[in-house]
Amino acid sequence: MARPEGRGDPTAGASDRDADAGTDESFFAPVKGSLAAIIGLSVLGAVSSVVPFIAIVELARTLLPALSGDAVGAGRVWAVVAVAVIALFVSFGAAFLSGMVSHFADAELQLSLRRRIIRHLQRLPLGWFDARSSGSVRKLVENDVVALHQLVAHTIHDVIFAVTVPLVSLVYLFTVQWQLAVAALVPLVVTAILYPVLMRGGAEKYRQYDEASVRLSGATVEFVHGITVVKRFGQLGRSHRRYREATKSYVEFVGEWTRQTAAMFTLIEIVTSPVVVLVWLLAVGSWLVGIGAAAPIDVLPGLLLGLGLTSPLMKLGSSSQFLRNATKARQSLAAFFALPPVPRPRAPRTPDGRGVAFDEVSFGYDGRHRVLHEIAAVCAPGTVTALVGASGSGKSTLAKLLPRFYDADEGEVAIGGADVREIASAALYRQVGFVFQDVRLLRTSLRDNIRLTRPHATDDEVEAAARAAQIHDRILRFDRGYDAVVGEDANLSGGEAQRVTIARALLADARVIVLDEATAFADPDSEAAIQRALSTLAADRTVLVIAHRLHTIVGADQILVLDGGRIAERGTHAQLVAAGGRFARMWADYQANHARSLPEGVQG
Amino acid sequence: MIRRLLHYSSPRARRLLITELVFIVATAVLQGVAFLMLVPLLRALFLADMAAVEPWLLALAAVGAVYTAAYWFAGQIGMKASTALLDSLLTRLGDRLVELPVAWFGPDRSGMVTGIAIQGAMFVSTTPYSILRLILTGFITPGTVLVGMYAFDWRLAVAMTVMVPVMALVYRWLRAGIARGDAAHSAAVADASNRVIEFARAQPALRTAGDGSIADRLVDEALHRQHRAYKGMLITGGAGIASFTGVVQLSLTVILVLGAYLAVGGSVDPATLIALLVLGVRFNEPIVGAGDLGGGISLARTTLDQLDGLAALKALPEPARPATPRDWGVEFRNVSFGYGGAPVLRNLSFTAPSRRMTAIVGPSGSGKTTITRLIARFYDPEAGTVSIGGVPVPELGTAVVEAAVSPVFQDVYLFDDTILNNVWIGNPELGREEVIAAAARARVDEIAERLPGGWDARVGEGGSKLSGGERQRVSIARALLKDAPIVLLDEATAALDIGNEIAIGAAVDAVRAERTLVVVAHRLQTIMTADQIIMLDGAGGIRESGTHTELLAAGGAYAHYWHERVGAAGWQLAPPA
Repeated sequence: MARPEGRGDPTAGASDRDADAGTDESFFAPVKGSLAAIIGLSVLGAVSSVVPFIAIVELARTLLPALSGDAVGAGRVWAVVAVAVIALFVSFGAAFLSGMVSHFADAELQLSLRRRIIRHLQRLPLGWFDARSSGSVRKLVENDVVALHQLVAHTIHDVIFAVTVPLVSLVYLFTVQWQLAVAALVPLVVTAILYPVLMRGGAEKYRQYDEASVRLSGATVEFVHGITVVKRFGQLGRSHRRYREATKSYVEFVGEWTRQTAAMFTLIEIVTSPVVVLVWLLAVGSWLVGIGAAAPIDVLPGLLLGLGLTSPLMKLGSSSQFLRNATKARQSLAAFFALPPVPRPRAPRTPDGRGVAFDEVSFGYDGRHRVLHEIAAVCAPGTVTALVGASGSGKSTLAKLLPRFYDADEGEVAIGGADVREIASAALYRQVGFVFQDVRLLRTSLRDNIRLTRPHATDDEVEAAARAAQIHDRILRFDRGYDAVVGEDANLSGGEAQRVTIARALLADARVIVLDEATAFADPDSEAAIQRALSTLAADRTVLVIAHRLHTIVGADQILVLDGGRIAERGTHAQLVAAGGRFARMWADYQANHARSLPEGVQG
Repeated sequence: MIRRLLHYSSPRARRLLITELVFIVATAVLQGVAFLMLVPLLRALFLADMAAVEPWLLALAAVGAVYTAAYWFAGQIGMKASTALLDSLLTRLGDRLVELPVAWFGPDRSGMVTGIAIQGAMFVSTTPYSILRLILTGFITPGTVLVGMYAFDWRLAVAMTVMVPVMALVYRWLRAGIARGDAAHSAAVADASNRVIEFARAQPALRTAGDGSIADRLVDEALHRQHRAYKGMLITGGAGIASFTGVVQLSLTVILVLGAYLAVGGSVDPATLIALLVLGVRFNEPIVGAGDLGGGISLARTTLDQLDGLAALKALPEPARPATPRDWGVEFRNVSFGYGGAPVLRNLSFTAPSRRMTAIVGPSGSGKTTITRLIARFYDPEAGTVSIGGVPVPELGTAVVEAAVSPVFQDVYLFDDTILNNVWIGNPELGREEVIAAAARARVDEIAERLPGGWDARVGEGGSKLSGGERQRVSIARALLKDAPIVLLDEATAALDIGNEIAIGAAVDAVRAERTLVVVAHRLQTIMTADQIIMLDGAGGIRESGTHTELLAAGGAYAHYWHERVGAAGWQLAPPA
């Protein structure tokens, strides 16, 4: 019976593999060494699995004279039994060993792929991580790598068995008794004719099945995520109904699909079932004996081996769903590895000083729609430059060009006179640090989290950074202090985690800092502490800050007002307010709003 | 396994499943019978006694015909059964989700639930036909043949029978070994994946660290642990499968050797022996196959375990007849509560009177949000009582509480619908203009202006086209629309943008005179103007409580907190020179 999960396709595996074997070269390199062993052992296992059957035929030839009262050659009997037993264990041993070798090869492949993913992650532009949820990385390392398992650990063995066993059997059968050999071929031929009928439109159906799954998945996610909302507003029935509708149409689709294919699938299963093949072969065999075309003993090989022709093929068929997944996984891994890494400079330059310059910089995420247009600005060493503008004005994008989350399409971004693209990665990040809104701590000790970017920093240096970032006292409150592990015995609030990242940036001691000032407001309870930490971080450095609260940057050395990806105004706070332009209006609005959000008598 | 499948079946699916199983057992027995008939048939054939061959052949053909019919029905009914089972599983899942307490639905639940809905349910529904059938056949057919063998040669039959308990023991051992290795491996895989994801997320910071950093070491160690666990699983699993297959092969060897011994001694009929050997070598395959399939069953078992886990979750107790609250004031009396671990609230008592605003302040993790969740009855306290209008919440029942409480919490979910409809959920009874008016009070109109399509613009899956602050405005608008007597407001993320602060301020002003308002407060304006401030101590209790003026005059912890916050509000990254 056909099921989306259990459907067989004996031919798909082999052809899929051949079709794009060439592109897998580097993929499967780690298992190449094991390939010969897997193939050799599989062939040995497959061939020797046929031997016990032939031995029984020989045993019969030796024993049957006893039926007519003749003497039995005991020596020959024992020799045949010995061959059969040895063959049994050789076959089983070889199959087992090939399974072990291929599974261990799979283990190596998984390790090498995960390491390759790691290496590639290290080389991708940082912007890639902006756009991707962790879901796609999880899919790569969890699902895709594991999905290749079937390909490496099972398919080679299964294909060799599915080809070798029938081949050896048929060769033997044709040498012994060709008419019965032909009869043994019949179920195979019938299957070969029926299968294409069964699989007609299969690809289209699979596509529809995937779509139906996606719809159900969407409805389920919405049901689960939205349940708190709908319960609160008495809308549970509506949401439940939507889920029920989605499951109903999914079940209907699956039901319809199985109904369409079930008859044909069951028919194929029946034609290849041992009982039907047995009746067929015995009928033909008896007929051949009856008309004198075959000796009774010659029916035996056909019977023994004819029964075993289809089962390896059927086994191969049942794994086609896994193969389909493996093929998809391979494509998605290949697509990931094909993502271009950050281009490295051929002749790296060393920045001279810590001034920052944007020289006619233009940029667009997709290379076509510009979000930044001809930005030109200079940040003198040790000064504070604030970026302000509405959301979507390009201020975050501009700030991210400096640490190379993205590279400019036109113009150049330079630090100390050197284009950031021409500075070696390590040197660039020694020079440029950043503290953004999303805080990522690793599940390791607080000490290692702080010295993440300077692994050889001493404990004293770590502690000094933590003190400056206002987090030292909090860390000491954990039983294990700096050795407390994030997520295990160190559970930090958003603001506390923020201060750990500020400590990290302080320890790294980059001379140019890119800041998202909104970080100060992630956790109102640690607001004051974060602010003190940020003030320490900003001191004596060249600072580029994305400013949300205009009063915090009143004293900035320059303010760049962005609008639609262009610098609309620039100057100091006083100059811009006096000019009475866009910034002056923003400031007036801001002051009105800010005052409303503060208690009376508090100066904003 | 079968019992568990039936447990999750609708009556129709149960009927179909049982019928399917009956037909599967019938085909397995018939297959065994057909194999047994091979013995007299081959015997007659070897003796070239064609007169005896013919009736046996006809009988075999007859058994084959019945077998074919049974097979056909097993397939056709099995198809209906699996579709019905799939439907039952998805229905049960949905019905159960509706009953579960809101508290269960954390952010990480959707992965598990969609896992059940998409892969799990499908896998379980195909289990009876694609796995159970093969396992049943793997045991029933050889069993039938074994019983029948006694009729032909008891000595060989006894030899086979002796092997059965050995096989059963090894089979159990095999399954236990695979399960153990599997569990260790799954844990290592989860750990390694988490490390890789962590590594990806931390990339911006790690670029500064260069190669060979602490993070490289962590991820490398996790990958190697996973590699070792995988190899460990292969060795235990491989040893199990090898032993099982080995025992099966050994039993064949026993018949071969014993049969040969008997044949050489002339005490067994060679034709019968050959026929029995044919049975032996050809039909041990289903048993070996059944050994391979043990792993498939355990996959289905995982999904059923998850469903059992859902079924075992206790819903909150509900009263037979809900009591009526005196008013809408909230009272905590000696309340203790924790999320399974250390208590978050210890012996906490306070009152949030009707038509008054109560502000809760305190350090992170001191239980501010927990208090609002207890009022909304996400949970019941472990000790003490939470009452509304003098009635303990369990006597009011979840439905009454849900209707009485309007929450504005941090986790806001938006449906993939228009922005207006997302607000409308708050009160479907109202007309479009009224909804728009309420939405405008929460400044949702600014969002509608920004989006192409205005009020009828779709918000994307989960509200992806809106920022965190904008989503919260929608949540405020919903709460304003619902117009419930108790309003719970969590200001935590509101401070991120000025527009939101104003929206929250408007919401507070709109409801504070008429409602019981409990605010997890961050805005200085909110805190200062509250009728009552409760400052938590971070150890599960209350540090200070009173009005702003009283607490400020007392010069204690609150006064310190207040001065620090006021200082922060005036902070400047780049102060004027």
